[in-house]
Amino acid sequence: MDQSKAIESLLMLETCSFSGYKIYPSRGRVFIRGDSKTFRFLSSKTASLFHQDKNPRKFAWTVIFRKSHRKGIKEEVAKKRTRRNVKYNRAVVGVSWDAINARRNEKTEVRSAARAEAVSKAKEKRKEEAAKRKAARVNAPQGDQKLSKQQARGAFMKVKPTSR
Amino acid sequence: MIQMKSKLNVIDNSGAIVAECIKVLKNARWASVGDEIVVAVKKARPVSDSTSSSLSAAKIRKGDVRRAVIVRTKKEIRRPDGRYVRFDDNACVLLNNQQQPLGTRILGLVSAELRYKNWVKVVSLAPRVI
Repeated sequence: MDQSKAIESLLMLETCSFSGYKIYPSRGRVFIRGDSKTFRFLSSKTASLFHQDKNPRKFAWTVIFRKSHRKGIKEEVAKKRTRRNVKYNRAVVGVSWDAINARRNEKTEVRSAARAEAVSKAKEKRKEEAAKRKAARVNAPQGDQKLSKQQARGAFMKVKPTSR
Repeated sequence: MIQMKSKLNVIDNSGAIVAECIKVLKNARWASVGDEIVVAVKKARPVSDSTSSSLSAAKIRKGDVRRAVIVRTKKEIRRPDGRYVRFDDNACVLLNNQQQPLGTRILGLVSAELRYKNWVKVVSLAPRVI
């Protein structure tokens, strides 16, 4: 491999206009078209196909075909494409970064203690409110019937069956 | 591989367009790039006598017999590095009897063989040498 690379560095290797292969010196032919465009062919095969106006994209062994159909590139691509998810320390609207950090670093005991406190507070609140409601009910006038939402709207109410 | 009766395009501004080889000026049947041949002009640009008196270049008419040097061949030529080069047509440049080009400009490519065969003036006039 090293020797061929050394040789390559000394020579100017041409590439075949049809197949894309490298052309070493004294191999192949050169065709210069009327419009001065130069075409190099590695062999009589590529030269013949060119002159038959064949499209190299349709010949599976040419470099152009392989490039256009992305053959043999997957190994290279697979290596390069390992994405890494970057973690950002970012604040959110309404909660500053310090607050987030504080929450994250809270110890479990602290958190559970806080939770227990909150729960007990909520319970107390509920008890108070229940007591209030009861008091309000007791003091309310008797005539008030319990109106459903539909009744309040004035919808037609089915007569409730009293016996089955 | 130009021989008698081969038609060549004339790529200088002498006025000739197509020339037919009538003699290969070497002791061989075929001539290639850089060889001198004798041609008969088969097709030429129309020459108007009134304006052409001021021109220094010679007037070429159809039927003129001139010398020419071949500058492009459709038959491939072997280069010293072993590669083969061929062009899309056969072309020549008309010469006078002193082996100097008749026209003042050359239009198109010429083969680099001309350098090896000492057609210095032709090579210098050519816009591109491959």
